[in-house]
Amino acid sequence: MAPEEVGVAGLAREEAESFLYREARLIDDLELEEWLRLFTEDGVYWIPIDDRKPVEWNTSLVYDPPLRREERVYHLLHVPFPAQAPRSRTLHLVGNVEVTAGDDGAFRVRSHQVVYEVRLGDFRQVGLGEVRPIVARVEHVLRRVDGQLRIALKKVLLIDREMSQSNLTFII
Amino acid sequence: MAVSGSTLPVRSRSGVDPEALVLEGPHTYRVHTRAYTDPAVFEAEMQRVFARTWVYVGHESEIPRPGDYKTAHVGLQPVIVSRGDGGEIHVLVNRCVHRGSVVCRSPRGTANYFRCPYHGWVYGKDGSLAGIAMREGDGGYSEHFEAPAGLLRLPRVASYRGLIFASFNPEVPSIEQHLGKAARLIDNKVDRSPAGEIVLRSDPYVVTYKGNWKFQAENIVDGYHFTFVHEGFVKLQERYGDATGDFGVHRGRSMAEVRRIRARGVSWGCAQGHGLSAKPVDRIEPLLEGHFGDYYRGLLERHGPERVAWIAGSGAMSIFPNLGIIHQQIRVWRPLAPDLTEVTVYPYELKDAPDEINQGWLRSQERFYGPAGHGMPDDVEIFALNQQGLEASSVDWLILERGLDRERVDEDGDHEGLPSGETPQRAFWRRWKRLLAEG
Repeated sequence: MAPEEVGVAGLAREEAESFLYREARLIDDLELEEWLRLFTEDGVYWIPIDDRKPVEWNTSLVYDPPLRREERVYHLLHVPFPAQAPRSRTLHLVGNVEVTAGDDGAFRVRSHQVVYEVRLGDFRQVGLGEVRPIVARVEHVLRRVDGQLRIALKKVLLIDREMSQSNLTFII
Repeated sequence: MAVSGSTLPVRSRSGVDPEALVLEGPHTYRVHTRAYTDPAVFEAEMQRVFARTWVYVGHESEIPRPGDYKTAHVGLQPVIVSRGDGGEIHVLVNRCVHRGSVVCRSPRGTANYFRCPYHGWVYGKDGSLAGIAMREGDGGYSEHFEAPAGLLRLPRVASYRGLIFASFNPEVPSIEQHLGKAARLIDNKVDRSPAGEIVLRSDPYVVTYKGNWKFQAENIVDGYHFTFVHEGFVKLQERYGDATGDFGVHRGRSMAEVRRIRARGVSWGCAQGHGLSAKPVDRIEPLLEGHFGDYYRGLLERHGPERVAWIAGSGAMSIFPNLGIIHQQIRVWRPLAPDLTEVTVYPYELKDAPDEINQGWLRSQERFYGPAGHGMPDDVEIFALNQQGLEASSVDWLILERGLDRERVDEDGDHEGLPSGETPQRAFWRRWKRLLAEG
């Protein structure tokens, strides 16, 4: 039986989907403090350029262990900066969710995500008012902590990850 | 009739008047809006700047072995930077001389030859035409056929400390003459490596912005903008300091402290068009006794106390026309259109330096640069804002007069100024104007 049809023992696909939908909603609603709480204590938010290379010897678009993730959220919520003034509005579409078990007791959830992003402000100006699709395969490693699903790793593999990018100063 | 390729792209002279675009007086330095917006100016730049001077195309560590290649651009001209059998470097225009198809579709790799996908013409690593498919076959080429020598090859290629430059201009002065004082600052950067060598290994960041290329050339040595554009970053520094991986690169934990630190040092505007800024460390002793004491004592032994202060200090360069060196990265800006530019940031490693140092620098790059970093996206946002603003063409001039009365001409003939003055930017425009005036 294909795992995506029923999930694996301990995590049904429906529960994984609900979790991803909730995460997407928190990001799109800018409930980022709440989003931080979705992670395990040592969770990592990672947007690699090349995930086959060791992270310590390669730059990533984002490599955020807990403190860096907190800093990113603090920056977005409390410190105005030109690349987010005006802000981005985002909308996540989550699909193709599959659940597999890891041999370390963690669950691996793979999804396809299209994130539509638009900068607010005077839409007649350059860079504002253009809806941009950001297309990615996303891999979550989830664990149960006190009965709650938590993100040990969120890896976002943009389909154009080694190519030229525009402003990505928001949470994907 | 000889049909060998011209080395200079030939086009009719446009009606661009550089004298009307850069206004210079004893207390005046202004650049006209059209210098950033006019398509005729852009075309003139491709012909008179990018086809005339040295242009950075890559680093030797990207193509270490024979057969290694990478693609690059000289202005709008797509080129292949290729390592030949003898280790020599060729810079070849990426266009089949038969019917025009590109012959190389990969940004980097290793190849014994380049084969045109259209009709199978084959070129060697040095660009020479190695074979014409079905040359004598039915309907083939006659004995009168004058076969081209191969891919158009740039007549001048040179490297300095591993940085590879190429030029379409056979008469271009030597690379050492071109770099001038910038060579000394490059030495300071490269000599941070115990082996005197840098290595490009990490993937680069590539960002495209909707603004003119000269905004990036100006801004990488702009000491004035940091506490405004990066005010948010300074606030992050107040709160997080080095805890999130800055690795001591951005000094100062408050706006006042950052301003004070950034007011130290020197900036230069070179006759060749380069803008430079550098700041030595105040005291070398804390470094010698610190966590990386062995490394710094090694540098001291090799270079002596005076140079080590500069080597261990900070420096930024805008090397005319398309190369930046700052932090521990090589940055290349590529003009695509008057209002469109691609920027590539190549973090580099210091050969034989402790892993912890190289990895520390990489984390610091990650935090500030790239499309999701806490610094660079703000800079490119400003470049787009500038371009947007210049649509208001009813205002003629941009003002580049900061520190104009406080600069002097030094023994190299370069202008020396204060760190947050616009000395480096004025040097860019002086060279730009001269090249455009040469027609």
